[in-house]
Amino acid sequence: MTASINAARYHLAQRFNYLVLPWMVLLFAFLADIVILELTPAGNDPNRWVGGLASIYCVIFICGVVSVARSLPFGLALGLSRRSYYSGTALLAVALGASYGLVITALQAIERATHGWGIDMAFFRVPYILEGPWYITWLTSAVAMMLLFAYGMWFGLVFRRWGLAGVIAFAAAQVTLVIVGAVVATWADAWASIGHFFHTLSASGLSGVLVVLLLALLVGGFATMRRVTV
Amino acid sequence: MTATISVAGLTRRYRDHLALDDITVDLEDASITGLLGRNGAGKSTLMRILAAQEFPSAGRVRVLGENPMENDAILRRIVLVREDQLFPDFRVYQALRAASWCYPAWDDGLARSLVADFDLPANRLIKKLSRGMRSALGIVIGLAAQADVTLFDEPYAGLDAVARQIFYDRLLADYAAHPRTVVLSTHLIDEVADLLERVVMIDRGRVVLDGPADDVRGSATTVSGPAVVVEQFVGARQTWGRRRLDPGPGAPAPLGTVVAAGGHGARRQP
Repeated sequence: MTASINAARYHLAQRFNYLVLPWMVLLFAFLADIVILELTPAGNDPNRWVGGLASIYCVIFICGVVSVARSLPFGLALGLSRRSYYSGTALLAVALGASYGLVITALQAIERATHGWGIDMAFFRVPYILEGPWYITWLTSAVAMMLLFAYGMWFGLVFRRWGLAGVIAFAAAQVTLVIVGAVVATWADAWASIGHFFHTLSASGLSGVLVVLLLALLVGGFATMRRVTV
Repeated sequence: MTATISVAGLTRRYRDHLALDDITVDLEDASITGLLGRNGAGKSTLMRILAAQEFPSAGRVRVLGENPMENDAILRRIVLVREDQLFPDFRVYQALRAASWCYPAWDDGLARSLVADFDLPANRLIKKLSRGMRSALGIVIGLAAQADVTLFDEPYAGLDAVARQIFYDRLLADYAAHPRTVVLSTHLIDEVADLLERVVMIDRGRVVLDGPADDVRGSATTVSGPAVVVEQFVGARQTWGRRRLDPGPGAPAPLGTVVAAGGHGARRQP
């Protein structure tokens, strides 16, 4: 247990990368979206949703990659077992997701109260995904963040074990899986029911799907972790 | 008494070569052992397996009585200082701080005094350090960790002679104050020869020599002088090599050099 905590602390020795950088990027995206909305023809669209919130998720994904790709060798050198390193890093992902999700929820409330920051911009009020009561927003945004961190971790582990070629093969395998799934869905004439499933999926249902995905990613990442060497 | 480090039948096979071939070695507590061998002999592989950073293909590894693989309780009593250690984007003080969390016996005073001895800039990014300074950082971590099993894998890459001497002195001083199991792999045999209590030599993945340093030191000697006298001295002893300098005509007698074996040798493995 102590070893896991040490692993999480070890990452946070780089406080800036994990605690400050995501918000700096989000701020940048926020300001960029204001400019785009106000000063470019994009603002003429009645739909006031801007995609800038995705930026912090991209940064979190990169944090996940770096937490393994750059930090694993020294972590193992400090006498952390692979299991502890992995569980400690996953713990960090959960903690970051939960707390950052809460901040996003709070910012969404402020956005609602200020009528879209005074310019009717929907930055945090992402349609369909982040609609609904505040606790669902928290759940969805938190789980999505944990998921992307875990996804990044897995990429980092694949990189550690098999290098760049491995990462590309890994990505290609996932694309293949999606394509195979699409072909099977076509043969089984299942598109209608798939569409129906997602249409009737509530926001909490979506979170459930994301949690299942998160667990799958954590299990997959750990399988890669078990034989990694530095 | 159970050996601190006990390795039996250890083999590590890679796709294209055999790094370790059926290694059996036992190292007792409170000793400084030198791990000698040529480049690519398998020294680093052995140490990495002891620190559970590498997986054995076959054989049994016991450190402090247990298998170190995925064993947190044992791993926090082992420290491996590698010459090719990869660090994240840390500054020197962050690396030391992380190490202090992970090693329960960490000696902060020792760390600070070693940083001063090696003149390490605490605030600098590790990737901006020179090669020698990165080695010095590794040594600081290795010594200040106060781990029961301290493994140094050629830790002085790039260290100048002064810094190397600092390392030897500080190692010996700390070892005298807190005896533990130290394994030091090296090429610089002459420099560390006096430090070593025990010598294990690896060649092409096999242990070829394993015994007390004194025995190894006493097992061979070099004799130089006038060739006739040298030959007389050597007599029927086993020799490793001969060199003979024959001067031109009208010059004094030829000289010879012989490396001869004699006395009690260390256990040699075929």
